[in-house]
Amino acid sequence: MRIHWVIAAALAASVSALSAPALFADSTGEAQQARSAGQSDPGEAGADETLKTVLPHQGVQGVLGKEVRSSAGEDMGRIVDVLVDQAGLVRAAVIDFGGFLGVGNRKVVVDWTALHFAPADQRDRISVDLNRNQIKEAPEYKPGKPVVVLGALGSTGPGL
Amino acid sequence: MHRVDGGGAKDQITPKPPPSSRQSPTPSRTSLRGLDWFVFFLADVQTGFGPFVSVYLTTQAWTQVDIGLVLTVGGLVALIGQMPGGAVVDAARSERLVAACGVVAISASAISLAIWPVFLLVLLGRILHAAASCVLGPAMAAISLGLVGHAGISERLARNARFASAGTGIAAAAMGALGHWTSSQYVFFATAALIAPTLIALFQIHPSEIDPERAHGGKHEIGPRKLGKGFLSLLRNRALVILATCVLLFHLGNAAMLPLMGSQLTTRTSEWATVLIAACIVVPQLVVAAVAPWVGRRAEQWGRRPLLLIGFAALPIRGLLFAAIGNPYLVVAVQLLDGITAAVLGVLVPLVIADAARGTGRFNLAQGIVGSAVGIGAALSTTLAGYLSDYFGNPAAFLGLAAIGFAGLLLVWALLPETRPREAD
Repeated sequence: MRIHWVIAAALAASVSALSAPALFADSTGEAQQARSAGQSDPGEAGADETLKTVLPHQGVQGVLGKEVRSSAGEDMGRIVDVLVDQAGLVRAAVIDFGGFLGVGNRKVVVDWTALHFAPADQRDRISVDLNRNQIKEAPEYKPGKPVVVLGALGSTGPGL
Repeated sequence: MHRVDGGGAKDQITPKPPPSSRQSPTPSRTSLRGLDWFVFFLADVQTGFGPFVSVYLTTQAWTQVDIGLVLTVGGLVALIGQMPGGAVVDAARSERLVAACGVVAISASAISLAIWPVFLLVLLGRILHAAASCVLGPAMAAISLGLVGHAGISERLARNARFASAGTGIAAAAMGALGHWTSSQYVFFATAALIAPTLIALFQIHPSEIDPERAHGGKHEIGPRKLGKGFLSLLRNRALVILATCVLLFHLGNAAMLPLMGSQLTTRTSEWATVLIAACIVVPQLVVAAVAPWVGRRAEQWGRRPLLLIGFAALPIRGLLFAAIGNPYLVVAVQLLDGITAAVLGVLVPLVIADAARGTGRFNLAQGIVGSAVGIGAALSTTLAGYLSDYFGNPAAFLGLAAIGFAGLLLVWALLPETRPREAD
């Protein structure tokens, strides 16, 4: 038992340190004025000054755990992960779809370009160009296996 | 000391007469009603807690890795804690107090989860909840046995199964709706609020009517070395070890079956998937609530083995039907079999444990041993079914689970002794 506690405490300390910034990602960037620091590479930054970019808080949002709806308003699940390619470009979102009391839910992958963010009035609402019928037969997302991405419009681009 | 000699299925246990002179206890109506509702509300609390943690933490922008870690740690504690939990209940002089502490602990962890979803508190809350559950299961059975004694225990366990299933079924539907229409955070507040009726019901049970000696299945000596000796003697108890093995095989075949069918339903139907899955969860609970009293009566008339054979046989049949049928509505009908199995195992497993541990004073430790077998079987089931499904497809996975269930049935048939006390004939 004691060893378990030590391990648990160590894990707790390390992982909470990692996850804390993500939890509060939404509330950062309070400043109204956006001061762009340019797209320069990090090497250009002087040792005495770190470049900063301040974004208006209405302009950005965290996506982890956000609800996704179809254009018809159907509940499509929640975003649980985001997939990027080797260049770091966002390619797709992993959505936890369906189920009741933890039974029957599946993780499916949706192309990033099929997602639409922040309709002006509802900041937390994310919509997707797919309906439940299209998403239901998607194979389950499993790390380490080929990923079937739904809603890709033949483009290899990163989207937004 | 009770003994089971020789081999073969026809063996009868010849129990020593109960050490207590209070042969036929007469618990008051208030106490029995209190136990009814305690079992009911406790099932509500547990239903509200379990399945919503993952959904809730997802809405709190937790990563899947963190959620998986928290759930795994909780699962490990729930498994490791089974036997210590049983030993604690055996050592306790007031089963009621132990149960009350468990309920308060679960409620506290539900509140902390709802208000502060930060990693450390969630992890501690899960550990607290798992540990409390390890104590509450045995405590509930111990209070039952302490109130009614061995003569009335089969009827009492049947009543417990009825109220627990009604509680689970109603709570699954109500909490599912609450989580869907509001947010999963409210589910935890609702769970925490259920502490009030749970404790009120618990305190209706008159403590003087719970005989601690009866509740432990006899007298036993206190002390770490005696505990070790008692544990070893339980491991040499043939009926108990065979029961634990059968139950392990059962849960290895059973635990992954509904989740696997649930994800298959999600792929087949779009609009009705959620409703059908909800029906697959609630229907068996209704069946248990309906047939459990019948199972309790028959356990006295027919003995334990015929009913256990029925319950264990329903699992492989269900697996075969799941592998064969594609119609989502028939799936709900097949879930009636799940209800029959759940009614039989819900009543008979604690009953056979009570038979087997009679006179040892370690009824609750014996429950912990069987509880560990349940946990191991259920934990491995998901991994096994996932592997079978990935490599051979869902029908093969259902057949594999059915085969394991069939092995459990054979073991019951070939080796499990009849444990009904002779004087009940």
